[in-house]
Amino acid sequence: MRQDKNTSVTPLKTLGHPTPRIDALERVTGKATYTNDVQLPGMLYARILRSPHAHARIRRIDASKALALSGVKTVLTHENCQVVFGAGGIAGGQQYNDDIKKITKQRRYVFNNPVRFVGEPVAAVAAVNRHVAEEALRLIQVDYEVLNFVLEPEDALKQGAVAIWPEGNLSLDTRNEAKPMTTRRGDVQEGLQASDLVFEDRYSTAFVHNAQMEPRSCLAHWEGDKLTLYTPSQGISNCRQDTARDLGIPQEKVQIICQYMGGGFGNKNQNQDADLITAMLAKETGAPVKLEYTRKDDFIGVHGRWPTVQYYKVGVTREGLLKAIQLRGYSGMGGYRKNTGAIGGIDIYQCPHIESVIYPVYTNKTVSGNFRGPEYPQGFYGIESMMDDVAYKLKMDPVDFILKNMTRKSRDEVPYTNYSLEECIRRGAEAFEWKKRWRPQPGSDRGPVKRGAGVSFMAFRSALGRSNAVIRLDSKGKYTVFVGVTDIGAGAKTTMAMIAAETLAVPLSRVEVVWGDTDRCPYSVGESGSRTTIQTGYAVIQAAEALKRQISEKGLPAGENVLVGSASPNPTLEGKVRAAFGAHFVEAEVDTELGHVRITKYLAVHDSGRIMNPLAARSQIKGGAIMGIGMALHEDLIYDRRNGQPLTAGFYGDRIMTHRDAPEIEVIFIESDDGYGPYGAKSIGESSKVPAVAAVANAIFNAIGRRMKDLPITRDKILGALA
Amino acid sequence: MKTFANSNARDFQHAVSVAQQARQDGHAASFVGGGSDLLALVKERILTPDVLVNLKTIKGLDQVRAAGNGVNIGGLITLDTLSRNDVVRRQYTVLAEAAETVATPQIRNVGTLAGNVCQRPWCWYFRNGFPCYKNGGNTCFSFAGENQFHAIFGGGPSYIVHPSDTAVALLALDAKFRLVSPSGERTLSASEFFALPQQNPARENVLANDEALAEVTIPAPRAGTRSTYHKIMDREAWTHAVVSAAIVLEMDKQVCRSARVVLGGVAPIPWRLPKVEQMLAGQRIDETLAATAAEAALEGAKPLAKNAYKIPLTKGVVRRTLLDLAKA
Repeated sequence: MRQDKNTSVTPLKTLGHPTPRIDALERVTGKATYTNDVQLPGMLYARILRSPHAHARIRRIDASKALALSGVKTVLTHENCQVVFGAGGIAGGQQYNDDIKKITKQRRYVFNNPVRFVGEPVAAVAAVNRHVAEEALRLIQVDYEVLNFVLEPEDALKQGAVAIWPEGNLSLDTRNEAKPMTTRRGDVQEGLQASDLVFEDRYSTAFVHNAQMEPRSCLAHWEGDKLTLYTPSQGISNCRQDTARDLGIPQEKVQIICQYMGGGFGNKNQNQDADLITAMLAKETGAPVKLEYTRKDDFIGVHGRWPTVQYYKVGVTREGLLKAIQLRGYSGMGGYRKNTGAIGGIDIYQCPHIESVIYPVYTNKTVSGNFRGPEYPQGFYGIESMMDDVAYKLKMDPVDFILKNMTRKSRDEVPYTNYSLEECIRRGAEAFEWKKRWRPQPGSDRGPVKRGAGVSFMAFRSALGRSNAVIRLDSKGKYTVFVGVTDIGAGAKTTMAMIAAETLAVPLSRVEVVWGDTDRCPYSVGESGSRTTIQTGYAVIQAAEALKRQISEKGLPAGENVLVGSASPNPTLEGKVRAAFGAHFVEAEVDTELGHVRITKYLAVHDSGRIMNPLAARSQIKGGAIMGIGMALHEDLIYDRRNGQPLTAGFYGDRIMTHRDAPEIEVIFIESDDGYGPYGAKSIGESSKVPAVAAVANAIFNAIGRRMKDLPITRDKILGALA
Repeated sequence: MKTFANSNARDFQHAVSVAQQARQDGHAASFVGGGSDLLALVKERILTPDVLVNLKTIKGLDQVRAAGNGVNIGGLITLDTLSRNDVVRRQYTVLAEAAETVATPQIRNVGTLAGNVCQRPWCWYFRNGFPCYKNGGNTCFSFAGENQFHAIFGGGPSYIVHPSDTAVALLALDAKFRLVSPSGERTLSASEFFALPQQNPARENVLANDEALAEVTIPAPRAGTRSTYHKIMDREAWTHAVVSAAIVLEMDKQVCRSARVVLGGVAPIPWRLPKVEQMLAGQRIDETLAATAAEAALEGAKPLAKNAYKIPLTKGVVRRTLLDLAKA
């Protein structure tokens, strides 16, 4: 069954047909209960006092006036609450790991002293209503010793820069060593020497926020020693594990509930300090407590994509064959290291000599963490701009350069389960009419409005892995699927129901899904890493097969009887690498007089294996592409260098794209079947953003003949480059 | 958000006397129309009024009425209603076009003309609560800071740009503003209404304490008049002008008899270009003249460290808008 040659998926009965979400009606009629809609009797409201300084030591906090205000129930600060926020910043940016949390020197508490960025929590208040809670924040007196601060990662590593942590500003790794993340293959110096031509350049990317529609909120409630948290989560199982670990209570004493949520894009992975603070306020007051974030809280108080500076050195032969790639990169992690700070992308090229040295650096900006393909959109912008530039310098068509140098085996060594990258690029180039739209001489249109075309491509992890599912059949013929998924917007709930219906060979209408509640659902892997369909979907198939075996052994259940099938699979890949492939082709129009960029054509070709629900999958591709355009052209959390204050937090200031800004995104799916995964499905959600940024930037280069090396590519930069 | 009392106004005279009374009692009062801007300022504690004087309860000042050959437009008209009004669209196109570029449909449905004209700046320092001139301090943080969107004309000591689209159009239309205060009424021309920071860096106009903008009057257009508003935005909705141009041309066949040219997004007030207007009067507007006028439009511009791009941008806007309108 398994084969390395591409074959197309065979048609199925339920899967593969455009299917509206099974909960669409609840969502659009306002019936769906989001976290902030939940009300409990006697509920208190919480607000957080945040640091107004980029870096300061707290000499003294006096909450007495706040506590004296009528209606205020409690105030928490670093003095009376020492809970460690494990997922918020631990050595190496590694997550979900108790051992690392134990050894790390750079431990993040929910309230820290010193505070390391504007927006860091200093105190939290619970009060009888929102207004009293807000008023109380103003009565908390904090005496700060303001410290020097540093905003840019390269500056933070310079001699004399203020130390944000005692160990220095290069973040410690999992062994508490201050070393950059280094990967080497071959000998890069040898490769560069053996090259006919060597090119060098610098690219930078900005901090961009996940900007999910639903801002964070949390409702915590203790019954005895059991904690129930209503919180928007991209992984209730992980959130439970993290919360139990941080609060020092057994996992079975924590229940996480997330029924409906308004997007996440990585902003809602793990647990958040908001969850821990709310839980502690509820414990302290003996009442349910609800914490609500404003959009500004959400922008500066959670995390976004880490900004990077990338220095490349690329060696090629005269014929355009890659010999060496060297990357030295700097990632701005903010005051805490919430993720690795890696810069990904080099591996999509086949190249014998590679060296990548990445410095994850503390700065006094807001924290960087998970965001849709965490290290790739920024890394791909750098490497794909760099390679595009090399192609022009070699007088090669960028498509030809890609076809000559793109990955054919993972890291040049390990075979992919199947390979369709070349097909993605060739079919895309043809459908896009690349030869017609691409200007061999960049910037050659007469203007003032000039057009050009750009391309970028990707290979994105689609590994298999562990998850669980349970399916119950009752005597009425109703199938109930229990999965610990939440729906961050990708339609997981519907997909799980479709997979069950397909495997059980029953109509979709007979399948119900129980989701988003750790007390009712088994462990699921969580809606991160583009793996819910692959991993939990696979478990649903196995549970359905188990149920079918029960039915064939015992017959259909009668009366009050039920039959249950369950599965906890952990499939492996037998030494291969599984990847989704894709290529994006963009035509952009640049008004060289007004500095305005308009996307005039956008084609995304993806092979994500079988497309389970084309309606949802297309939206995932479109959303990723649009998000990539936003990162390329719009978004930036701008700071004032003199005082370390963020100036553009929020949907207005950050100039996030609106519906009217979004161009039509054409999508072509190549549905190859590698024989692995649930009915051959591969990852989708993150991969659609990965090549988008570079494709847009490359189209701008082709249009105006100026390489835009710093994101976002805004009007001032375009007019500056053309001046 | 700070707690406040709400007071529904019966008419403008009542509104301003409530505000005056509040002030005399030591309370801060704010007039509120649609509230789309005010509420945000109150939430962020940029403004902390004790009393909101609700103008929406005043009847009759939310429409366009013929007055002589011109029109009176009530300050409480919503931007959406204004932008759809037939007379405005036909005779004062520049105003309809300006109104329909404001913010979002939701904001245009509640935001009023007077509120838009009197809206506070959207400088990120002001909106983030920095103690700048606009917040009662004595510094402009943009001058040596992040000034990508700040003034290239008329700056100092504050370098904000006036945020209103309709204000730019109203100045181009030579509108009159009827102001009501406890001591009575006064009528100012649009050019007298807006004030540079050198006059008072805390304010954008000459409204006194307890004084409110009730109505605008626009004279009848002369025969052959055509007008347009061109707004450069960094996204297609919900953002203020990076640069804008409101141009009114009185045309006699191919010849421009008179012109009014006003820029938005470049100065702390709507920025009129009298020299460019003179240059156009009595001339046929062709490529050469439009380019010359665009050059002249930027004479005297003083860009800050990060907004020099506004110079070529504004030239482009003036040149193209003039040509498009002359050809229309």
